[in-house]
Amino acid sequence: MYIVLVGSGTVGYHLAQALLNAGHEVAIVEKDARKAAEAADDFGNVVLRGNGADSSLLDAAGAARADVVIATTGNDEDNLAACQLARHRFNVDRTVALINNPENEVLFRLLGIDITVSSTQIIMSQIEEELPTRVQFHLLSVRGNREMVRVEVPPGADVVDKPLHGVALPADTRVAALIRRDGYLKALNGETMIEAHDEVIALTPSDNAEALLETMTGEA
Amino acid sequence: MKVVVMGCGRIGAEVATRLWRDGNQVAVLDLEPESFYRLPQGLRETEGATLVGNGMLEEDLMRVGIRGADVFVAVTASDSRNALASQKARHIFQVPRVVCRVGDLTRKEMYQELGLTPLSPTDVTTALIVDAVGA
Repeated sequence: MYIVLVGSGTVGYHLAQALLNAGHEVAIVEKDARKAAEAADDFGNVVLRGNGADSSLLDAAGAARADVVIATTGNDEDNLAACQLARHRFNVDRTVALINNPENEVLFRLLGIDITVSSTQIIMSQIEEELPTRVQFHLLSVRGNREMVRVEVPPGADVVDKPLHGVALPADTRVAALIRRDGYLKALNGETMIEAHDEVIALTPSDNAEALLETMTGEA
Repeated sequence: MKVVVMGCGRIGAEVATRLWRDGNQVAVLDLEPESFYRLPQGLRETEGATLVGNGMLEEDLMRVGIRGADVFVAVTASDSRNALASQKARHIFQVPRVVCRVGDLTRKEMYQELGLTPLSPTDVTTALIVDAVGA
């Protein structure tokens, strides 16, 4: 494929390298003289110095025969302009824009940019996927590779309205304290009932922390 | 009419001043507070007439009163900034008339098709100069 890259910053530079390695033909448009020179040193005469949001530069880069135009500069306004020109003036099939400010994603989609890549959005969804959704705080590490953790019991969890002795805790795990929603520190024995929104402070082997979280927040 | 002007350079200040003198409600947005000294004192001291902010940000557009504006005018020195702000005004805030300064003539033609009212100092100035040359 023939790919025109607008911007040779961190993303653009490494993208160019990866695309060239994969056997694609690449042209790079870079506004900054130093970055353009660096790219030219590494990639040869495929680098044009100038603003890729300028139609004459895109033309010179061969946008008219490009399969894809990818704009990854640090300025959303230039990325948008380059992609709109590619689409509406050079009839490029696919346009890809890096989005620096997440609020711009809506506008870019509305205006027909095919692929928008928002690093903030990617990192956010990655975090949401990787981290437990319920509040759990690792409080401290203690002897025997154990840790003290804090979990809030969500309404609808299987453990709600069950006595402590009726809850199958992971091995070697003790509930150290139960704090009610109103801040009341509940005295503990086997008959103590767990309520929704209770804050459970427990001691558990590090390997069982996930399992404990699942026990306290899992639904039936 | 209620007009929001983005960019208080020589052109922006002049546009805002004329529209204001013609009796329109004008609000001017610029990144630099010093730019507002280009405006006449009466306009500069009018409540809500100036705002230090970035017209590419929805929050700043709302602060300057984009909702309910009849016209948005983008006249900063950057084509790309003007175009992004203008397309937000047009497509996110549904401003009926959006005037956008664009130097690049190819882009001017494109934005025309995309629902903006682009104006280019390039072709206007070129025409005047060619005329003045008198060849």
